[in-house]
Amino acid sequence: MIPTLGHVAVLIGLGLSLYAVVAYVLAARGADRRLAESARQAVIGSFLAAFAGCVAMVISLLSHDFSVLYVAENNATTTPPFISAISLWAALEGSILFWTLLATGWAALVLHRLRDRHRALMPWAGATLATVNLFFFAVMTWPGNPFTLTSPVAAEGLGPNALLQNHPFMALHPPLLYLGYTGLAVPFAFGVAALVTRRLDDEWLRIVRRWTLIPWIFLTLGIVAGAWWSYEVLGWGGYWAWDPVENAALLPWLTATAFVHSSMVAERRGGLRIWTSALVIATFVLTLVGTFLTRSGVVASVHSFTQSAIGPWFLAAILVALGGALTLLVWRIPDLVGGGRPSALLSRESAFLFNNVLFLGLTFAVLFGTLLPLLVQATSGDTISVGAPWFNAVNAPIFLALLFLMGVGPALPWGAASWTTLRERFAAPVLVAGVVAVLAFALGLRDVASLLTLALAALVATILGDEFLRGARARSRRRGEAAPTAAWRLATRNRRRYGGYTVHFGVLVMAVAVAISSGLSSDVTATVVPGEVVRIGAYELRLERLVVEPLRDDPRVIETRAELSVSGPQGGELATALRDYPNSAAAIATPAVRTTLGEDLYVTLLASDAATGAVTLHLFVNPLVVWIWIGGAIIGIGSTFAIWPARRAVPVLAPQVRRAVEPKPTTPSVERA
Amino acid sequence: MTVASPPEPMLPPRRRPWGIAVLVAVVLVVIGFLAFSSIGNALLYYLTPTELLERGDAAIGETVRLGGQVATGSVSGPATDLRFTLTDGTSDIPVHSTVAPTRSFREGSGAVVEGSLGADGVFEATQVIVKHDENYEAPAPGTLPSDRAFDPDE
Repeated sequence: MIPTLGHVAVLIGLGLSLYAVVAYVLAARGADRRLAESARQAVIGSFLAAFAGCVAMVISLLSHDFSVLYVAENNATTTPPFISAISLWAALEGSILFWTLLATGWAALVLHRLRDRHRALMPWAGATLATVNLFFFAVMTWPGNPFTLTSPVAAEGLGPNALLQNHPFMALHPPLLYLGYTGLAVPFAFGVAALVTRRLDDEWLRIVRRWTLIPWIFLTLGIVAGAWWSYEVLGWGGYWAWDPVENAALLPWLTATAFVHSSMVAERRGGLRIWTSALVIATFVLTLVGTFLTRSGVVASVHSFTQSAIGPWFLAAILVALGGALTLLVWRIPDLVGGGRPSALLSRESAFLFNNVLFLGLTFAVLFGTLLPLLVQATSGDTISVGAPWFNAVNAPIFLALLFLMGVGPALPWGAASWTTLRERFAAPVLVAGVVAVLAFALGLRDVASLLTLALAALVATILGDEFLRGARARSRRRGEAAPTAAWRLATRNRRRYGGYTVHFGVLVMAVAVAISSGLSSDVTATVVPGEVVRIGAYELRLERLVVEPLRDDPRVIETRAELSVSGPQGGELATALRDYPNSAAAIATPAVRTTLGEDLYVTLLASDAATGAVTLHLFVNPLVVWIWIGGAIIGIGSTFAIWPARRAVPVLAPQVRRAVEPKPTTPSVERA
Repeated sequence: MTVASPPEPMLPPRRRPWGIAVLVAVVLVVIGFLAFSSIGNALLYYLTPTELLERGDAAIGETVRLGGQVATGSVSGPATDLRFTLTDGTSDIPVHSTVAPTRSFREGSGAVVEGSLGADGVFEATQVIVKHDENYEAPAPGTLPSDRAFDPDE
């Protein structure tokens, strides 16, 4: 009953999406305005249909209804309710259902919020979004039906993905990532609408910038959460392996980030319109490529799902989206060229330009390294992989150059910089960077890339701090405000600028943490019997005992656990385990991670011998890793601050004073696009 | 941004900025060089013992992934100084490893080792990955691909 309702909901969503596409296109071609209104209702209806589908699936999972194939394959009678519920996105069909919920949700949200504005753009944007939704409903109707039934009904299911069961982080990482992925259809839709209607002025740029930043935040947090999950769960001691699926999430992030920057130049100086349109298209197409890589089983990765029939569907969608949008773009090139003012080499514009060149360089390098094994396999039949060292060798210099630009950009004026400005703005930061590098060298850091990262981070932090303090001091002097008040008001009156600086600061924190944790981490592998001691860094770990027993919450899972006592900093007990799940051939690592602000002690169990009680452990001391997650949080806070709607009224000073000293701070319509 | 930026300098440069174009080109060339100069070393071939031996001396020192079966009766030494033979039924290659394999390593099981063949004909492994299946194929739903499950050195 419930599964049937779920399937019916999918079919209703399919029908409503189809209606919305047709009605929006008719409305765009000048038909009755009420048609566009009904299309919007249909999109909202398709969101409700996807929601009903998800509810049906979650109920089926919670009630262990093994007549549904997806439930039989991803659930067992012993599965706890929380795990059952999040199993919605544990495997292919369920995750497409969840994906559709988010895609229709974004479409409904944006079409509802902007319903009375952008009359010319809306129908085409709506039609594009509804087409994307139609595709996902079609995938669920034909090759990836989540409500496929089985008979005879099994008495017990296979149980959820062991990795999903093993860590609560799976409740967080995929939804964030999917929110980012699906939201990036919105800027694409408005890009298509602008190209079709030839309304390529600032209007679409404002909408697109705002609606790129919102999913960008989710995508960023999703990527950071994924790295954290990889670190806490997979047990190899690291957080980023250039795995094809990690790369798949990174690619649209790179182009979206490039867009966020180039759109500022486009807004400020005009021009770059072909470029910004191309970035919006590339970002959306890369989200499809990412889905294709993740969900079709063409690449082997931690995330690979079963080989499935949806691969060709996604390939077709990529070709249609890429081909269609590029044709549209080329067709409109006469409307797009020109408009920009040339700028000097030493100017903020050129810093933004180089930023974009570097982001595109990263995108191509990552795409090349990710797709090369597929190409080689297809052409020569050889099985190859491109190792992490290659990705590091190519991408690290580009990241360093980006770090440099992050400091240079904000310090350069628009237009053209004079040598006096350069001396004035860069003297102190360069000095600070030099001092930091010398100090780090004196303290024993020898890795060139790490030293450069530290120096550049110091440079950028000084420039950003100087820039902010300068502004706050000027405001405080001009308006007689106390320093903290002046600083807060300066920031909240210029949310995009100082939110952006906060994001940059978070990136600095993350960059330093990555450089130090990869440059200064140490590891040791040791086999010990109970009573023996293994040393790493300042820690001394004594193996107390080896325990093999069923897990208390789920007796079908056998845990092999090494219990250790730690002396040294952070002394105490520590247990690291391998868990055997009935539905997983490989044992799942459960590393012990002891996190402090300075360093993590990370212990994985590699092997054990029940007869002697001997265990082989892999121990790591990873400095500063926690700052990667903190940096991610700072980026999230900064970007949220940047897009927070500006207040309309500023009831602080008497009106005549305010008029005298400052023009109206922002035009709300600009900030609230 | 609209608000806080200082007023625009009133002197837009008059010439087309060739300097920028040249610098962009330089950046692109450098990125291309970085990518292609090291790709040859970065490719990791997945070979069977027979395929590795067919490469002759060219195989010595080249980092590859070697897949095969752990020959029965060939395993000796402790986990951190392990010697065993990998076979594909036709050719055998002796392997030495100082990194502990995962727990399911045993005689008769499939294994993939990463490392390089020494001049003495012994394959020095920097990584031992246990395969759970003789066919190298996409993992079953809900499982980790065996070659990624425990990757202690990546």
